[in-house]
Amino acid sequence: MKYHLITLGCQMNISDSERIKKVIETRMGYEWTDHEEEASLLGMVACSVRQKAIDKVYNKIHTWNRRKDRKNLITILSGCVLPADKEKFLKLFDIVFDISELNQLPEMISHYGVNTPLGVLSRESELFNSIHEFWHITPNYNSTFEAFVPIQNGCDKFCTFCAVPYTRGREVSRPSEEILEEVRSLMLRGYKSVTLLGQNVNSYGLDKKSQEIHFPELLERIGQIGDETGAGCWVYFTSPHPRDMTDEVIDVIARYRVLASQIHLPVQSGDEKMLIRMNRKHSLEKYMQIIQKIRRTLPEATIFTDIIVGFTGETDEQFENSRLLMEQVKFNMAYIAKYSQRPGAASSRWADDVPHEIKKERLEILSLELRKHTRIYNKGLIGKKLRILVTGKDRKPGYFTGYTEGRIIARFQSDNENLTGRFVDLEIISAAELSIEGKLIPSTENLLTDEANHFIQNIGLPA
Amino acid sequence: MEHHAITGIRHLTDHTFVIRFDRKGLVFRAGQHLLAGLENQNKFREYSIYSGENDPFLEILIREVAEGQVSPSLKSLQPGHHLIIDGPMGVFNLDPKTFLTDKICFVATGTGIAPFHSMVRSYPDLNYRMIHGVKYENEQYENVDYQSDRYISCISKDPSGNFHGRVTDYLRSNFPGTMMKYYLCGNFSMIREVFDILSEKGIPRTQIHTEVYF
Repeated sequence: MKYHLITLGCQMNISDSERIKKVIETRMGYEWTDHEEEASLLGMVACSVRQKAIDKVYNKIHTWNRRKDRKNLITILSGCVLPADKEKFLKLFDIVFDISELNQLPEMISHYGVNTPLGVLSRESELFNSIHEFWHITPNYNSTFEAFVPIQNGCDKFCTFCAVPYTRGREVSRPSEEILEEVRSLMLRGYKSVTLLGQNVNSYGLDKKSQEIHFPELLERIGQIGDETGAGCWVYFTSPHPRDMTDEVIDVIARYRVLASQIHLPVQSGDEKMLIRMNRKHSLEKYMQIIQKIRRTLPEATIFTDIIVGFTGETDEQFENSRLLMEQVKFNMAYIAKYSQRPGAASSRWADDVPHEIKKERLEILSLELRKHTRIYNKGLIGKKLRILVTGKDRKPGYFTGYTEGRIIARFQSDNENLTGRFVDLEIISAAELSIEGKLIPSTENLLTDEANHFIQNIGLPA
Repeated sequence: MEHHAITGIRHLTDHTFVIRFDRKGLVFRAGQHLLAGLENQNKFREYSIYSGENDPFLEILIREVAEGQVSPSLKSLQPGHHLIIDGPMGVFNLDPKTFLTDKICFVATGTGIAPFHSMVRSYPDLNYRMIHGVKYENEQYENVDYQSDRYISCISKDPSGNFHGRVTDYLRSNFPGTMMKYYLCGNFSMIREVFDILSEKGIPRTQIHTEVYF
């Protein structure tokens, strides 16, 4: 029996889907298929951050339900689902479950009268009573060289535009020992990129007060693991909240080779009053202090951000302040979104009074502003030698694609079929607005087999 | 999420009421809020905690929103019914290191006074001034809970109270001073205007704390 799972939204959903797949495969005996039509179990991990995202779920389930006329299907839904949508989805999907209920999924499916391949052998499920038991599931990592490690779940910030506190619940930090064990294991297995995940990743430990280490110390310990193992690995984190960002985090990153010089720091608006209306609970000054600290301590770091255009009441002047902020900071990437009312969020009860056309125009203006700076920055990389993590073949025949430590997309030409998941060194020869192209520099890495590479890592030579 | 039994309801006006419910050991800092909703419904709203940190009960102050999805149902609750509560959340708090020596100016509109009620109740020795903007005299919610020389009502529609007009009008002509920490809570229009007034007077951003209700 086969299954197919569609994952929408952020890296946290991707990470959650790895655990869902583990349960479906090892405890229910299903096999993965890339083709929906072959599957008898169809699932989605939903995203509710914007209306467009949740509309994808509605569209897909209608398609799947039509297919039920011709085939026995079970449909399941998890992820970030607002209460209002959940009520509707309960009538459309066979099973809708919270991610912390994952351990009960085999039982839920057996109640449908479907004997899963392992159904007769499975023991009675234990009840999940928290996200902690969800984290205990060892995931089926989607990749052999990139991994997402959840360290924190939930959000207590209640920014007025956001529904995540209602879908993910309160902030809960995963035990540090579990996180460190997982990260160590990934490094020893030769993973090249590890991303620590949380809705408020740098609020880690704050819910546990003195019973758990906080984010800077967690990073420090991960940095130490990197040094001890000699792992060739880049460790990232997302998404942090500016309010909980401290100088200490930046200082720790500067001290350890494995902690990547790439900071994703959502700002949402460059206007003081917009930040107040969003209940972001930090000032523009605080945000700029963090940026300045990054520039001083990690001058080579790239900085990414999130910005919303067209939030309730955003005036032309307030939007211009966002544009000015982008001009000043010169982000390497900005995820710019048109504001969309989210049921349950405080602003869902306010007028969504910026016309769609204006939101679209503002998005285009900020996109142009972003590209203006990224073009200059990327051109400045021409002639430099940069290490790239190769993620796969590029669309252009004969080319591979990957990213720098700062997550700048890079392409290069090669006929070596064994480069995916490896580090290579490029001399940068050209630059576009959102990517760079390089020439492969011959080095021992590029010629080694994977087995030799892993051996070298384990005896402590630089990767 | 926990079920909390309602132990009392006080109606302050036709549309505004206080729900008291059992605390069940919940620990919070004055200024924080809860998510409150009804059993068997999937809708919640955020309400600042109205009661004090040391009170043996919890209270929230609610204004009924016409055609609202939650507040009309909350208004019909009786003692013995239950609320579903999540929290506490939020960082709209007094500075734990300096609050006993700070000079504090609270500026609120309507039910935005709730977090300040909790702060004053929690710390009776607080050195504060409360500027409360409402439309009508009966919206000076339980103003006897504040020292009379510290509570200033700015009433826009009734010719009563300490000041006839809006809080922004009051502040322009009675500026409390630059050595104060300002806490603003309630409607965004007020917060935006007061923010401008304070900025013009040179109050640093770090001395202004805000919580937008709507």
